[in-house]
Amino acid sequence: MTPDLGVRIGSLALRNPVLVASGIIGYGAEYERLVDLSAIGGIVTKTVTRHPRAGNPPPRVVETPAGMLNSIGIENPGLEGFLEIKVPILRTLPCAVVVSVEGEDVQEFCELVEGVSGSGVAHAIEVNISCPNVGPHGLRYSTDADMARQVMTAIRPLTTLPLIAKLTPNVTRIAEIAAACEACGADAVSLVNTFVGMAVDSISRKPILGTVLGGLSGPAIKPLALAKVWEVVQAVDIPVVGMGGITSPRDAIEFILAGSTAVQVGTALFANPALPEECVTELERYLRRADLPSVADLIGALEVPAERGTIRAGRCLPVEPKSRGSAS
Amino acid sequence: MNLVACSVIENREITPGNFLLTLKVPHRFARPEPGQFVHLRVSPETEPLLRRPYSLEGFFERGNTRAARIYYSVVGRGSKALATQPKGQTLDLIGPLGVGFAPRPRRVPILVAGGRGVAPLLFFARKLRERKRPFVFLFGARGGRELYGVREIRGGRLHLATDDGSVGYHGSVLALLKREWEAGEHTPLSAEIFTCGPHGLLHEVAGLAAARGIRCEASLEGPMACAVGACRGCPVPLRAGANGNGARYPAMCIEGPVMDATIVDWERLP
Repeated sequence: MTPDLGVRIGSLALRNPVLVASGIIGYGAEYERLVDLSAIGGIVTKTVTRHPRAGNPPPRVVETPAGMLNSIGIENPGLEGFLEIKVPILRTLPCAVVVSVEGEDVQEFCELVEGVSGSGVAHAIEVNISCPNVGPHGLRYSTDADMARQVMTAIRPLTTLPLIAKLTPNVTRIAEIAAACEACGADAVSLVNTFVGMAVDSISRKPILGTVLGGLSGPAIKPLALAKVWEVVQAVDIPVVGMGGITSPRDAIEFILAGSTAVQVGTALFANPALPEECVTELERYLRRADLPSVADLIGALEVPAERGTIRAGRCLPVEPKSRGSAS
Repeated sequence: MNLVACSVIENREITPGNFLLTLKVPHRFARPEPGQFVHLRVSPETEPLLRRPYSLEGFFERGNTRAARIYYSVVGRGSKALATQPKGQTLDLIGPLGVGFAPRPRRVPILVAGGRGVAPLLFFARKLRERKRPFVFLFGARGGRELYGVREIRGGRLHLATDDGSVGYHGSVLALLKREWEAGEHTPLSAEIFTCGPHGLLHEVAGLAAARGIRCEASLEGPMACAVGACRGCPVPLRAGANGNGARYPAMCIEGPVMDATIVDWERLP
């Protein structure tokens, strides 16, 4: 019997729980020849902002031990450019498309959600309230539960698409922000975005990144990310989309065991474009070996002493696998 | 562009710290143009994490075998890991990538190489020779030992320079370029410059070219994460006025690595 890999994020049915994270794969076309999109659950686009952004000055990336720091600064064509140039390409992709958006204020978030929703191309919207690289406003919305609440409350009535709030780990109590998003109508939360980090060149006595600070990703952050996911899945009932340093299929399975309904592959895709597909294949093999009929049986199946915590999130019903994700 | 598995035919230290890597590539790897690069996984391990971009030093077809060559120096974690890969090791790469050199018809190409920046220009010179086009090759390095590949430069006029005076002109390759131009044989309509090397040298070559109205292409170098235009991690700063309507950073990986040297803002390029 073939295990059922289908999962649900709100009304979005994914044929399997493996997505590619925002900022990794552009708008899909860039990696067309390298990643088999028909084998994975979907992609999350590069974040779209209300107005075009040129991004940050170089250098924008530097490799660190088992990781990478980036300070891209959300270079993107803005909402109008996205609708005109990127939407026609996204329409042709053989997988679910989650569009990531970020506004500088509540009004911009609203315009973005309406614009993206109206395009008809998105199967869900990831609300990026957590980028560390765009000045004070990004982190402001996800380091403060009240601000997150304001954004979610304002955009919720504007679309029927599933809303996934993307959270930053750069907070003291991530579960509070997650719970605030849930209370204001988020269908899911995704975490973690990058950890704020810094690299110094002791020879030139200068910071390596043009913006001094950047976001750390890659296998170095996996244990930190798992801990944040673990904290959030105990605090909310909506699905959690887990990510942070997934470098092998086993990493993806660990996030699912810890309570993630779906996972996102990020930085490691740069080294291994086949990784998302390998995650799907290995997940199926893992379920088969464990004699489990569906991935739903694996979500939050981590065996933890009762006094150490209980998973609430990620209780999803299995769905029929579909050739293309759809918001129904 | 494809993701292909390659095997190491040879990975030889030519001079201390400088290696020539020969990879057997499959037919799915398209014939590259000089100036194009590959994004190479330098080790089968996950450390270092990211691939490394390398310009090709050459591409050879003999019978049914295709080989790509990379000339590299051990400068950091990636190249250090690459230097340990033995013959027979399988490594994968994405390529060929980016924009290569684009010579104009009927102009004499003047190639200006600094140090290991000679790599893509050697590939280019071989191609020019195949097409029976005359060219001038100016090559400067710290010392004679760093003058890699000079015996392979045939079909053009070659001038060498070293900082230590051990071989050729005692001084910078920039002085060779000035001398070449001031000899009066070339005009901006009859010749053009192609350069690769340390960004400081490229900056000076670009300045000389801009001041005299000479067309000049430079092959840039920098860290890259995806190398296919998705991550936007390799921005090239452009000079004011070269930005079009608004500020814009071309991605070195897809709009380069070879770019018009006179529009690059060298002060802001790391």
